Formats: sequence, C-alpha cells, structure tokens
Amino acid sequence: MSVNIDPRTGGLAPARDEDRRLVTGQGRYTADWNLPGQLHAAMVRSDRAHARLLRVDSSAASEAAGVVAVLTAFDVAEAGFQPIPGGPPVAGADGKPQVKCQLPILATDRVRFVGQPIAMVIADTARAAQDAAELVSVDYEDLPAVASMDAALAPDAPRVHESMPGNVSVIYEAGDAAAADAAFSRAAHTTTLRMHSQRLAGAPLEPRACLAVHHPETDRFTIHTPTQGMLGMRQSLTAITGYDASRIEVIAHDVGGSFGLRGGPYPEQALVMLAARKLGRPVKWVGSRSEVFLSDWHGRALVLQASIALDAEGNILALRYENQADLGAYTCYFQSMIGTRNLTVTMGGAYRVPALHARSTLVYTHTVPVSAYRGAGRPDIAYAIERLIDQAAAEHGFDRVALRRRNFIPPSAFPYTTANGTEYDSGEFAAVMDKALTLAGYADFDARRQASEARGRLRGIGFGCYLEASGGGVAPKDQVSARFRDDGLLHLHGVTGPSGQGHETSFTQLVAGLLGVPRERLRYHASDPAEELVGNGTGGSRSLYGAGSALKVLCGNLIEHARPHAARALSLPAATLEYRDGAFHGGEHRISLFDLADSLRGASPHPLDCEGESSSGTTFPNGCHVAEVEIDPATGITEIVAYSSVDDLGNVVSPQLTQGQVHGGVVQGAGQVFGEQLVYDPDTAQLLTGSFMDYVMPRADWLRQIRTDYHPVPTRLNALGAKGVGESGCSGSLPALVNAMSDALRRRGVPPMDMPFTPPRVWAALRDRG
Amino acid sequence: MKIELVVNGQPRSADCEERTLLADLLRDSFGLTGTHVGCDTSQCGCCTVHVDGQAVKSCTMLAAQADGCSVVTIEGLAQGERLHPVQEAFSACHGLQCGFCTPGMIMASVDLLRRHPSPSDEQILEGLAGNLCRCTGYVNIVEAVRTAAGRLAAAEGGSK
Repeated sequence: MSVNIDPRTGGLAPARDEDRRLVTGQGRYTADWNLPGQLHAAMVRSDRAHARLLRVDSSAASEAAGVVAVLTAFDVAEAGFQPIPGGPPVAGADGKPQVKCQLPILATDRVRFVGQPIAMVIADTARAAQDAAELVSVDYEDLPAVASMDAALAPDAPRVHESMPGNVSVIYEAGDAAAADAAFSRAAHTTTLRMHSQRLAGAPLEPRACLAVHHPETDRFTIHTPTQGMLGMRQSLTAITGYDASRIEVIAHDVGGSFGLRGGPYPEQALVMLAARKLGRPVKWVGSRSEVFLSDWHGRALVLQASIALDAEGNILALRYENQADLGAYTCYFQSMIGTRNLTVTMGGAYRVPALHARSTLVYTHTVPVSAYRGAGRPDIAYAIERLIDQAAAEHGFDRVALRRRNFIPPSAFPYTTANGTEYDSGEFAAVMDKALTLAGYADFDARRQASEARGRLRGIGFGCYLEASGGGVAPKDQVSARFRDDGLLHLHGVTGPSGQGHETSFTQLVAGLLGVPRERLRYHASDPAEELVGNGTGGSRSLYGAGSALKVLCGNLIEHARPHAARALSLPAATLEYRDGAFHGGEHRISLFDLADSLRGASPHPLDCEGESSSGTTFPNGCHVAEVEIDPATGITEIVAYSSVDDLGNVVSPQLTQGQVHGGVVQGAGQVFGEQLVYDPDTAQLLTGSFMDYVMPRADWLRQIRTDYHPVPTRLNALGAKGVGESGCSGSLPALVNAMSDALRRRGVPPMDMPFTPPRVWAALRDRG
Repeated sequence: MKIELVVNGQPRSADCEERTLLADLLRDSFGLTGTHVGCDTSQCGCCTVHVDGQAVKSCTMLAAQADGCSVVTIEGLAQGERLHPVQEAFSACHGLQCGFCTPGMIMASVDLLRRHPSPSDEQILEGLAGNLCRCTGYVNIVEAVRTAAGRLAAAEGGSK
C-alpha cells in the first residue's frame, strides 16, 4: 500500500477530494440538514405480516402534545398519490404479462409485511412524533402468512394478493430448453446443485432519511434524501405524486452508502412531500436502524438450482437452471429484473457452452419487498456457475483448474455470442486465472494444508472465475456539462450520484489528465438541478465508464469550442493551434485554457461552457478470486487466511479507488458467505433479525489482507475502455469463499451446504458427516 | 434539565429532556452533526466521541451523564487547518468511502492509539471491534491506524 506525502503540507497526501470534509465531520448527510420551522415525522408500521386493516384510529395521537398532523391512506388518496413504481415489465414464458402488485404509499385495507407503512405522525419534535406514533391504534384481523417461497408455492397456500392464486408473479424463460435437454440426454456426466442466495440487508450505515420543503409561491418542492442520482429519484417521485419532475429539486450532498437500495423513493419520501405541502412547513423523517431493517428493500433472496452436462473429456455441453426469486410482498423498481435478465444474461459464465436454458419463477411472500443489492443477481449467477463447476469436478474426477481451462472462451473467439444471445466483446480468462493462482500460491497449497492439519485445522482453497454484465443503463445516454464560473474553477456536472465511490476524485482526475490542467481547478457536481442533463444514476457499476466516457467527449468538445477564442486571443489562425498540456500553442505563443477562460469572463453563460454526451452499454468485467480458509473443527469457526484477486476491469482510472471498490465488494461477499442472513419466523413471518444485534455484519477482523492485481483487457464498448468495478468484488468473493469452504469440508465428507457458513452450522455439519 | 459541559474545549450548556442521549444533544443542541447515528442498539460505533479522554458511543450515554464532563467530537480533533494524524491517515490510506462511519472510526482509533501507541494488529482489530463499516472492507482502515501510529511515533520521537 503506497501512502504519498503532500509536498505542500508535508503531511500525508489525501486519496480523494471528498475526504477532508468527511474526516472532519463536515460532511452533510440528509439527517444533518435542518430547515427553519421544520416539523418531524415518525411512521406507524404494521406489526403483522398479513392482516385486514379494520380501523386506524389516530384521534389520541392527534391530541398528543406537539402533534401537528397524522397522515393516513385517506390523505394519500385525497392527494391522488400513486403506489411505488413497479419497474419494467417482464414477459412470461407462456406469453402472459407479469402480474404486478405495487406497494401503496400507506396501507389501505390490508397489510402484507411486517413494517409496511400505515400512517405518518408529524410533530414539533422527533421525540413527540415517535411518542404519538405509539398512540395510533390499529385494529387488525389477522390472516395466515407465507414467510418463504416454499410456503408460498405450497398447494392451497394463503394468497399474498387476492388476485393471484399460487403467488406466482411470472414464470420467465431464457435460452433453448430443447437444446439443453438434448445435451443432457447425451452427457457422460451431469451434476445438479441447489443453492440459496439468502435474503440480505443492504445496510448502508446512514439510515434512510428525507427532508422536504414545499415552496407555495412556485408550487415546487425541495427534497433532501440519499439517492444514487437525482433523475431516478425525481422521475419516480413524479410517477407517485403527479408533480412534474421540473418541480421537484432533489438534493443529496453526502450519501452514506447505497448499494442499490436508493435508486428510487420509498413511501416516506412521498409522505414528507405531502405533509410539507399540507402543513406549509418543512417536514423531516429520519429512520431508525430497526425500522430500516423492516422497510429498506431487502436483497438477494434467490434459489438457484443449477445443472451441468459434460462429455467424457470434460467439455461442457449445457448448463440448465431452475431458479426462484422471492419478490417479497410487492413489486418495486428493478426487482423483477434480478431473477430474470440479471440471472440469465451471463448464465454461461466465462465458458463456451453450446446450450443454455433457465427458468425463473418470481414469487410473492409476506416479507419486505426485495430489490437491487450490490450486483442484483450477477454475484448470484457467478456463484452458481463456479460452485457447480467445482462440484462437478469433484463428483466426476476432473481437476478444477483443467476443467475450467478446457472450457474457457479463448481470446481468439471474441466477439463471442453466447447460446442465449449475449455478445461478449473481450476477455482473457485463462490468463486471468493463471495470474490469480500464481498470486495465491495455489501450487504450494498442499504444504499449507498439511501444516494446518498438523495443528488440527481443516484448510481449504477455492477460486471463482466470474464474468458479469455491468449495467447498460436506463437512460439512453449520459450527458455532462462544463461551466467556467467566477471562482476561477471549471465545474463539471453529471447525473450519477455518488455514495462513497469517489466521483469528485475520479472524474476530476480523468478530466485533468485529458485536458492537461491541474486537478485543483476542477470540481465535479452530481445532479445540480440547474443543469438539465439526461443520464443514469449510480447502478450496475457503470458510473465511471458511463459518465466518464461522456466527460472524455466533453473534453474534446471543449478544446474545439475554445479553439476559435484562443485563435482570436493569439491572433493566429485557429487551424494552426495545437492543444497540449492545458494550453493552445501556436509557434512561440501560447495561452492556457484557464487564462483564456479568465479573459472571457463577464458574459453569461461563459463562452467556453459546453456539454458532452455518450452512450455506453453493458460491459463484461471478469476476474479470478482465490480464497484460502482454515476451519477449527472443534468450534466451527473459520478464518479467511488468504485472499487474492485478479480482475479484468478494462482500463483503470483511479487505482487506489478501484482497489477500494474491490475490497468493499469482496468483504460484502464475505458477509453473505459467513454470517449475513435475514431470518423470518416461518409461522408468523415476523422478522427475527431486525437489528445489528441479530444481523451479522462483517467486522474488521474478518479479512486481514487482500492481494489485488489486475489484468486489464480494454473494452471497445465505451470511450474509456473501462469495464466497471463496483459490484465485481461480490461476484468474485461468493464463489471463491464458498469453494474454499467446500474444499475443506468435502475432504471430511460433508455434503454441499448453503451459506452462511456460521460457526454453529459448520460445526454441526462436521458433526453430522457421514 | 440543564446540562453544562465542555465540548471541543468550549464551555456549553443546554436545556434538554432527561431522556436525551448524548449523541442527540451534540447533534441537535450544538449542531455538531459530525457525530453520526447509524443504529439504535450501540453496535455500529458511528457516534463514537471522547468523554473525559475515553472513547464512548454517545448513543449509549444520556446527555445528563456527561454533565460536567469534557467531550471531544470529530469536529474538535484537527488543530485549525492541521488534521490530526489519524484523520490524515484515514484519507491517505483510502480508509473511507461513503464516510458515514468515519468520524466514529477515527475517534475510536485515536483512543486505541492512546492506549496502545505501537499497536499490534490484534490490538487494532480489537480496538475497532465496536465499529462497523459497510464500504471499505476494513483493510484500509486497519492500514490507516498502522500508518497513524507510525506518524504519531515519529512526531513523538522528533519532539524529544
């Protein structure tokens, strides 16, 4: 790890422009904002998983000290607010459209998960609102609930939605079932593995919050809330409230993590807008950790049953999947894409697979709605493929390295179109694997295993050669703008909103390099409402190459746009000027871009201001992660003793920040492998893991070192040649860690087991073996 | 009830309800919003401050219990423009991403380095066991604490 000294101060050089405010407590997260005259809101939530709402009596709450108003479903209906958007439709295999049941802003006649919003209490202080929320009396008629997909799919299961017998929202298919079946019928070897990717909490450390103010003179709103980009938030608020997007200003100054959860609004954001308009005062809601466990969209919640067909030599003939995706109680946003498009677009992984088929059943249950969480199906399918290959190798006597090497798509085959029609542009999978295995000391592993065994420990090594499809984006293009302001700085504007990724640093590094100007004179701003830009929010690991490619175009535009002005300033023909090192040069004369900008100051807009845009679609980040674990069979406690990653992320702009993304993704994956799990009581569908006391989060001592390296194969799919990094860490670490655990446990005769590998489960599995 | 205490070297007082938590007093009465609240069960450590020189989760303590105490928050750590070596090291080592856990991480780290000026890795990991981070994977946080320990030791050696 290199730490640089700042020559100006003699201190350590900061890694990012964002850091100074964040290490001094000057960051401004949503809860840190306060407006004059603001009121505070608290939610009343269902404490039943499934019930008829007979009566919501807010009279006692309304009379409580400090209470200003109580909003119920009547107020929502009066305002004409629509439910939470249900996301893009999924076409069913039978040609029938998906049945979508959307989450109402406040419950009307029925509640369908513990935590569903029923009322909002607004008071002078947060504590008064919380106290009064307990005075809202709700009469329920309890109904039977289904806490899991198995329960929901059982014959005669209680219906989550009356209109939907069987609780199936849609059955989706991809690939060619007949071709896959034919391949299986002639296979020499087949292996099937059923795997859960258990339900998780995204758990950004900043609890969800919002603060809205209504400006009656213009009938506009300003809303502070964590987002992944203003446009997605604004468009969905428009869909809910009916207010034109131009009337809704969204401000997210600092965002304390997101991981997919914060692309669009939840009921609370719409409710504070409604309350602020109704009451003529700003209204603020700050979620507690307990209630965001019950109301932030959950993640993963997938079952993948994967099968592989091999010929006698070990050539893959087909991969087949029978998947289930738990939607929770309602459809929302990106949710239905997870179990369908995201699970299938790369379902052949990094391999030449002649036949591919997947079937996904999307199921309603009486649980919190599930939506995108770091990778949103991509880590899950990478996990399924890579675990299945290890299992097949073990069952049929193949070497797992050789089996992969035999089946990788070779570099000469690109562009390569998979059997289900996805075109991969580039990749050097064998080279990536070899580099990773060397980095991890794979060849010398047996000596380490023996040393561990001598100490009574079980040691395993595993790896995963993931390939994923980064986000194509929802908006057709990404636009950025450049504004020379009177502060002497060049301000860059984009849509994509950061939540820790370091956009202010990466994007200014990129532009400083392209324009040859000092980075100190550049600023990046996300989602300035004054800039009417089109673009994607943060999601699908696409910000760097999406907005970054647009910034590259912008730099070219800016130079050409400035050229005639420079020609006038230097009294030279424009065509003779050369731009390099931040200045226009003509013979012995030169004028720097910033001097030129200063000389033109006064006009508004500034004559050099310009825009750039670019369309960047899906890319295919890939890599090989290698994990080594040591299990104490006496306790079931596992230590991750080594972790190495080699990723092909295409061109890398900010190496230190890229490494940070890999680290974070790897450890979130480790969280899922070793501890994280949202558990519902099977009878009552009450959430049993509703706090950080019950929900295991990874801690500092879980993974002490990560050896990271890269094998960049630039993509031609965007102007930067970059492939996306934000979610690849999870896609690599799930299979690597689970394959390492399985390697250790298999030697003791333990059959395949599901995540999480918690000490009691590992201990019990070892006890029960054979 | 009335509470008087010293915050970041300044005498402060406030009227607040008996049930007010120290974290809320700092944030709501004094506007010191660098102290973050990330949970309601004292697990995350985002709200860590120093009370009479010791790291404390300020959501775990009533404001009334801090009456007469000296409290240092993340806002009081830098000397003017000059960052505390732990603040500097967190940034230099890329030990933060979203930054929400960072104030608590830094306050916990300053305290652990006070107790263990040349900490072993075990001592660093134990010292950070009460602080959650969702973004960084912790590797760079631990590196930041090591780096800060070295910088503090060098500064100490230089001043002798």
